[in-house]
Amino acid sequence: MIDILLFGIFAGLLLHGIHRKVIARVQGRPGPPVWQEILHTLKFSFKETWIPVTASQALFVAVVLVALGIWTAALFVLLLEGSLLLLFGMYMLHKIVEHGLGLSSGSPYGKFGAIRSVISAASEIPLFATIGAVYLVTGSLMISDILAWQQVHGPLAIAMPPAALAMYLVILSKVHYSPFAIIEAKEIVSGNRTEHFGVWRAGLDVAFALKTFVLLFAFVLIFVGALPFAAVLAVMLVLLLSLSFVCALCPMLSPYDTVTVQSLATGLIAVYIVAFGVIG
Amino acid sequence: MNSLPADIGGPGLYAVEFGDIVNYFTPYTAVLFVFALVFTALAIASRPERQVDIIFGGDGYYTKDIEPAKLGFQRFMAIACGLATLGAVVSGDVFNFTLFTSMVGITNIGIVAAYTNRHVLNAAFQYGIVAMIATVPLFGGAAIILATTGTLSMWELFGPAIAVPLIAKAFLILGVMGEGMAPFYVAKAEITRAPGAPYVLMIHVSSLLLFLRVTEIVLSM
Repeated sequence: MIDILLFGIFAGLLLHGIHRKVIARVQGRPGPPVWQEILHTLKFSFKETWIPVTASQALFVAVVLVALGIWTAALFVLLLEGSLLLLFGMYMLHKIVEHGLGLSSGSPYGKFGAIRSVISAASEIPLFATIGAVYLVTGSLMISDILAWQQVHGPLAIAMPPAALAMYLVILSKVHYSPFAIIEAKEIVSGNRTEHFGVWRAGLDVAFALKTFVLLFAFVLIFVGALPFAAVLAVMLVLLLSLSFVCALCPMLSPYDTVTVQSLATGLIAVYIVAFGVIG
Repeated sequence: MNSLPADIGGPGLYAVEFGDIVNYFTPYTAVLFVFALVFTALAIASRPERQVDIIFGGDGYYTKDIEPAKLGFQRFMAIACGLATLGAVVSGDVFNFTLFTSMVGITNIGIVAAYTNRHVLNAAFQYGIVAMIATVPLFGGAAIILATTGTLSMWELFGPAIAVPLIAKAFLILGVMGEGMAPFYVAKAEITRAPGAPYVLMIHVSSLLLFLRVTEIVLSM
């Protein structure tokens, strides 16, 4: 299990590096090497580290550990083909990490990031539209049952494209440089992560790398089905490239536009699910 | 444990009986419980941060400290909120779940009530109005379930023999969303400007955990 965890971390960091490289190339810049995020994480691991004097010390450290804990647990839920509801529950708990990171330091930039993370809570709602749609079609929320259903009926992405689109929107909301990434916008320095540096930043980079790996892996399992592992990685890469293109070409939205777009998307998916459930 | 649907939150792990009210743990509710417990423990053990504010028009800044009496009240309400959340995530009875949910709404206002900032108090007042209105569909949902099925026990309701009306499920979700989920959460963003991060964070923890729990309840019924 440890080897899979380490693989997930390094693959996630590499995916972050590829994401940055693709965005740069689309925008006509050379961009950093693809392994830059791995080097960043190693560099931060050996930097001098302390806790700001204004911070709530226990919370400042605890949120980093919680971030590592929830994404490690989420990876194992996925690998053990456990409950999809549990996996998405952990995704929602990531919102607490975002919020706690910003509030714990006392920094005004962190606080703005935290408040924006509350506003952007609308990004989690398409997730529940996805869950509802998957349950409606497959009759189960266990990933093992969903994989078995797809072996008989084909990929869920073809059976329910709007549900796949909703989850794509959820993943897009969480990748770096996303049009919805208002919590780490440059006008508030690094937003909720402004004061977490050194080992704390390395821990967060590891947790966020796992998050990217888990979300892309989950998308493939839920909407494409069981594939050989090399094929899963290839589909994850294609998915990431498409996200990178969107991030490179779309400017960051304002906080209220972010909420509007995500709420509208959720509303449309909800209408689709109701129509599917009633008419279908 | 057999009447709990294993295809949603995983198989039943443990039941805690209080007379005819039987709370239960599945892998799903156990994770929610542990998460609520961690943040309640943090509210008990943590000192608050000192918020830094920049003086407008200059390069000076100052830090805010919370008075001990206010800190004590804020911490007490955060712990009460944590306990209500713990109760809601393992509840095996719809009425208890709605009671704990409304208690979370009250304690959320209490967490910031001691802080005498006009913007924060205005936001808490608006949040309180939304949360109060939301208790109508919340308890209404529970009442419809009781009237149509004759029980509020999740052990009975989760079985295939009982069909819960769609409107009752919709009311339950609406009631929980009113306690602090999108799109009824606008005032909550302003509330979280209040100092006392370990306690203010409980507002967000409780809302998210309640929403995760009601999703499981509604899908299982």
